[in-house]
Amino acid sequence: MISEFAELLRYRELVAQLVVRDLKVRYKNSVLGFFWSLANPLVQVATITIVVKYVMRLDIPNYSAYLLVAYLPWVFFQMTLMDASDVIMGHHRDLLRKVYFPREVLPISSVISNLIHFMLALVVFFAYLLFYHLVLHGAPVSSGALLLPALLAMQVMLLVGLSFFVSCLNVFYEDTKYLLVALLNVLFYLTPVMYPAELIYIRLPEAHRELLYRLYLLNPVNALMDAYRKSLLPPFEGHVRGATVHSLGIDWLMLGVCALVCAAVAVGGYAFFNARKWSFAERA
Amino acid sequence: MEPAIDISGIGKTFKLVTGQPASIKSAVLAFRRPKPRILTGLANVNIRIEHGEAVAIIGRNGSGKSTLLRIIGRVYRPSSGSVTVNGRMATLLDLGAGFHPELTGRENVFFNAAVMGLSRAQAKEKIDGIIGFSELADYIDAPVRTYSAGMLMRLGFAVAMEVDPQILLIDEVLAVGDAEFQEKCYSRIKAFKDGGGTIVFVTHEMEAAKLVAGRAVWISGGRVAADGPTTEVVASYLSNAHEHVDGSVTNVQ
Repeated sequence: MISEFAELLRYRELVAQLVVRDLKVRYKNSVLGFFWSLANPLVQVATITIVVKYVMRLDIPNYSAYLLVAYLPWVFFQMTLMDASDVIMGHHRDLLRKVYFPREVLPISSVISNLIHFMLALVVFFAYLLFYHLVLHGAPVSSGALLLPALLAMQVMLLVGLSFFVSCLNVFYEDTKYLLVALLNVLFYLTPVMYPAELIYIRLPEAHRELLYRLYLLNPVNALMDAYRKSLLPPFEGHVRGATVHSLGIDWLMLGVCALVCAAVAVGGYAFFNARKWSFAERA
Repeated sequence: MEPAIDISGIGKTFKLVTGQPASIKSAVLAFRRPKPRILTGLANVNIRIEHGEAVAIIGRNGSGKSTLLRIIGRVYRPSSGSVTVNGRMATLLDLGAGFHPELTGRENVFFNAAVMGLSRAQAKEKIDGIIGFSELADYIDAPVRTYSAGMLMRLGFAVAMEVDPQILLIDEVLAVGDAEFQEKCYSRIKAFKDGGGTIVFVTHEMEAAKLVAGRAVWISGGRVAADGPTTEVVASYLSNAHEHVDGSVTNVQ
């Protein structure tokens, strides 16, 4: 695995070229392209805010910020895995059949281009927070934002590992991507994206609440979405159907466990991918 | 001295791909399906190529020539045996392989160089030489999708030569160039050979084989049917083709 990794490093220029090419196509060489790519999540966030506030009656001040802070990383998660399902048999099929290069370059460059897209979206998110702070005197950016690089690193590790699995499986089983769409749809409602994790916490049976909540945070996606919300925004206090919901602090132990899980997924995915990557050309 | 390319006892089998796409669904229901047929692409191929040799691979369609070239070029892994390549290798296995139709010729040169493992700085050094050799200066900033087959070949050949390889693999792409550019390619290949470079190329043009290669390997049915001086191997290949006899193994040495 070490020598495979050294070979991958030798091909970093190819990764850079693929990322630039992907971003060029995505933004069609225009600034407008970037704003269009933001329009979809913003419309989603506006819709979910209305549903959560007026239908589910969860009353948290400035809720759209608490939603957006987890929704953007979720979109990063979702888009990256969807791209991964097509990255080998899709655009690069021809290249794969005719030229040698370390195959892992493909899923890795797809994760990186989605990461860049996510970071641009985060810039817009911070501008939005600043606007709220200055004009509406809402939630300012909290100092926990210093945790952001660590969270990004964890999510990238997780996504690289999962992308290795997804991209590889889709070569051998062409319906992987349909299964993936279904799984992502379910996962969206299971993870604390459109609602805060505290809502799960207060619903857990009191006797084993702490243990069950930690089990819940064992899922790295849950832990990450929760940590983005808690590190970038100040604690909230809200009401849902008469009950009061308080922000819990970040569970540092579980965040540490999450980092280990993400690293394990990355290494496991790489091993899985490497064991199969040289038969891709025969299937393409 | 160790050889440039040492192919020792390689075999390659393929699972026959049936019309049905592979899916999780069909994998779950696999007990209903017969086992896939196994095709033998190559069997027990041994070829040792020294530095500075030029070798033509000839044979009928589907005989395994391109499979062999792809195994040397590390696109396929052999099912058995091993291949050792000593030296920097450049491959030209297909027209426009490693080119993106929407990018310009210039952007594609950088992309193609990256596919071969070059850094951007290295590619920048070579770009003028590549454009000069390809004679495409007027079209280099147009998207590659507007290029003809001949222009694609020019650009691909120019990149492969200018990255300064020690070993060059070519799969019958030179045929699409016009006579003048072919002439240029062959003289460039000759200079490459004189400089100690190793060439392995697949071709159906026996004249080209005789012109470039001192040695030819005839592949038939996935096996080496003959390996020796080009003129002799080509002669026995042609007489065999005329007789339409298959499977006879001739050893020319």
